[in-house]
Amino acid sequence: MNYLVLTPIVVVMIALRFTRLNILGWLAVWWIATYLAISYGINPPLPSSIVGMFMGIVTLALLAYLTVRTDDMNFVKRAAIRFLTDKKYTLPLAVTVIALPLLAAFNVYLSAAKAPQPPAAGRTIHPPPPTEITFKGKKIDLVNGVNPYRELQARDPEAFRAHLANGRKVYFQNCAFCHGDNMEGKGIFAHAFDPIPANFQDPTTIAMLQETYLFWRIARGAPGLPEESTPWASAMPAWENFLSEEEIWDVILFMYEYTGHKPREKEEVH
Amino acid sequence: MPAMLLAQEKILGTEAQREAGKKIYDQKCAQCHGEQGDANSVATPFFRPQPRNFTSGIFKFRTTASGELPTHEDLKRSIKNGMPYTGMPPWPEFSDRQLSDLAFYIKSFYPDFGEYGDVQPLALPKPPAYSDASAERGRAIYEENKCLDCHGNLGRGDGKSAPTLKDQWNQPIRAADLSKRWTFRGGPTRADIFRTFTTGLDGSPMPSYNIQPPEDQWALVDYVYSLGQSDQPNYATMAAAKGISEPIDLSRGKALFDNAEAALFPLAGQVIEPGREFYPGVNAIEARAVYNADEIAIMLTWHTMTADTLGHNSPLLPAPPFDPQAPLAQGGEEFSDAVAVLLPSKTPEGVEKPYFMFGDSKNAMDIWFADLAKDSAEFFIGRGSKSIEPAGNGGLSLVSHYEEGEWSVIFKRSRVREGGLSFEEGAFVPVAFTIWDGFNRERGNKRGLTSWYYLYLEPMHKESPLAPMTKSGLLTLVVLLGIVAFARIKYSGKA
Ligand code: HEC
Ligand code: HEC
Ligand code: HEC
Repeated sequence: MNYLVLTPIVVVMIALRFTRLNILGWLAVWWIATYLAISYGINPPLPSSIVGMFMGIVTLALLAYLTVRTDDMNFVKRAAIRFLTDKKYTLPLAVTVIALPLLAAFNVYLSAAKAPQPPAAGRTIHPPPPTEITFKGKKIDLVNGVNPYRELQARDPEAFRAHLANGRKVYFQNCAFCHGDNMEGKGIFAHAFDPIPANFQDPTTIAMLQETYLFWRIARGAPGLPEESTPWASAMPAWENFLSEEEIWDVILFMYEYTGHKPREKEEVH
Repeated sequence: MPAMLLAQEKILGTEAQREAGKKIYDQKCAQCHGEQGDANSVATPFFRPQPRNFTSGIFKFRTTASGELPTHEDLKRSIKNGMPYTGMPPWPEFSDRQLSDLAFYIKSFYPDFGEYGDVQPLALPKPPAYSDASAERGRAIYEENKCLDCHGNLGRGDGKSAPTLKDQWNQPIRAADLSKRWTFRGGPTRADIFRTFTTGLDGSPMPSYNIQPPEDQWALVDYVYSLGQSDQPNYATMAAAKGISEPIDLSRGKALFDNAEAALFPLAGQVIEPGREFYPGVNAIEARAVYNADEIAIMLTWHTMTADTLGHNSPLLPAPPFDPQAPLAQGGEEFSDAVAVLLPSKTPEGVEKPYFMFGDSKNAMDIWFADLAKDSAEFFIGRGSKSIEPAGNGGLSLVSHYEEGEWSVIFKRSRVREGGLSFEEGAFVPVAFTIWDGFNRERGNKRGLTSWYYLYLEPMHKESPLAPMTKSGLLTLVVLLGIVAFARIKYSGKA
């Protein structure tokens, strides 16, 4: 969010509430304000195709609003007809009729002058997991399974702490280079990878995933992803090459402990 | 309270402050710096330079004279900004108070802070404006003070004593590449460079200098500054190949690429599959490309401390799963420097590509390989790191050249390959790179690598946008005139 842009916009919109602007002015202010907000108010900036699509929706919504009240509708219609037919407006009308085609041509020029962009590959970040995987010959149930050491937290805190300590070791010897020592995805090699390593502090990663989902992602890594997740580009290693089952469950415990997030509970089926 | 105790408290903090510092330290720092501050930790073998041993009382970043302890503010700054391109991360999220508590706690690992911790910072002047004349003068000062013994003639970290350097903890360390300011531990600005050679980086071989008169100090700063292009790396996402009409004559070397734009790509250690490399010798590679009607040539350049042209190298060589005994040194005899360009074996349809490491069973990868101990290229087909097959020379020509700390390696091939990857005008071709640093004993899967990027063959003739511009302009005009005419006919005089 870019508050430097958003704050003045919100102020103007609130001020608009207390002015007596006619419906045309009102529509124009709304349109411009939403355009500015989504073009410059969001960090990182949205791609122009998304902005274009969003503004199309906003335009339709504003038109729909306009048609709700016949008074407003007639007012706009009369204003348009006056502009198009009244002698008084000949000059501005002529200017419009000349300026718009020039603008359209200029727009084409701009898009031709832009450096070509490499093809963008959309990728599904959280594809549905398989229902079970075989890990070193053992079946792991990803739907109804649980982290076998989670229950120690209540039953045997000492043993639980030992698993956490082991998870911490696994993390700093294997994961910190990419996911960062603070789990924000800013490890020493992170800048060299695309997609960038996941940020576990972010509420949209491990905070909304089940522990078994993490087990699958950690064990199988990028090569285990389905096509829509561009497995050929992600640097996420398949840790079944390096780690034991216990080590993976332990590092999962540690990831939740360090970030303070809670794993998503498995879905209750009624 | 007695005055002495109060003064102590200013330096060492109160019990409560140290306790607050310890809380954060145990959670966020001890994994690397050790519970006891002695760098005896789970992470230490995986980072070079190693996480600092605070019981040694040695600090790189200081505003104090060489050999002295850092000020409280110095420690806070090191924690807040981190040390780029080392394991020491920046911690921008800590408040001033948290930084201070941490600094107090770190001091408690080294008892001398009590006696000698009341240090005075050196007077570090404000930088005068940069000038090219001053930078030019600085060259002589750079030579006089033998900076080039370690940093090399053009500052690329390739000085003659560079391969022998070790830090205080007997770990091999490399002299900074002065053309990459963004890797400087203490920051890239001119004030930072001034402070670096005035105070030295204690614990590393980087000495402190008392250069007189003061104008000479700034001349040296300006010279060092002039060796790099920018404070931040301008990493690219694609390399654009320029179309040329003349034949591609490799004997012209670098001059062939005078008009091609350089694209810099970051390299990471291969920490994904067995053969892991945690401290790769090279951290970036630059690519340029040209093509004509028949052929394409790609030039790769990178800085490295030594040209390792003894021994041999190959993607097929076995590498130990992880070999912490042989970091950053010893090499040069057994394994040579090497580089590879990785491309899909077939022009991809859609976005699907081979796995960026060395391909996969479904999508094979072309590996253009140059062992720089030899003067011809080799060609491999990769279907995964464990199934790489030699396949002759793939029609590749090669020239390579090492000068002033920089390798430049040029591959050339015909643009079309029957049944394989072809380079078409206007097309984006996925490309990745790998470097093996022989000095670092990199071979096989122990290597520095990039993710997928693109090679784009800029069309030789750019189409003029005039026709589509006229078309869209006229279309808009017709529509507008239509609306006006309709309104005039239907509503004239009625509104
Ligand atoms: C070489 C870099 C690298 C290393 C080392 C690495 N990862 Fe990853 N990881 C990534 C990347 C890149 C992604 C994002 C792309 C993806 O989902 O595959 C990722 C994604 C993940 C995800 C999925 C998160 C989500 O929201 O779906 C998990 C879980 C994960 N990593 C855990 C780990 C663990 C645990 C380790 C250490 C045992 C580790 N990673 C080591 C690069 C790495
Ligand atoms: C991922 C490992 C890692 C973590 C976590 C880490 N450090 Fe470091 N730290 C390092 C490394 C590596 C160095 C040595 C850098 C060098 O010598 O160039 C270092 C150096 C330092 C230095 C010395 C700076 C100087 O001027 O020489 C201080 C102070 C420091 N760390 C404090 C901290 C504090 C406080 C934390 C926790 C908030 C922390 N570190 C967390 C790896 C780490
Ligand atoms: C004995 C070898 C040696 C000599 C002589 C030497 N340096 Fe260095 N220098 C080093 C090493 C090693 C490093 C890297 C230290 C590190 O990574 O912690 C370094 C780092 C640097 C840096 C980067 C600082 C940073 O913040 O990371 C600069 C700038 C620099 N040197 C400038 C100079 C200048 C200017 C001179 C001459 C006046 C000079 N050096 C002489 C070995 C040397």
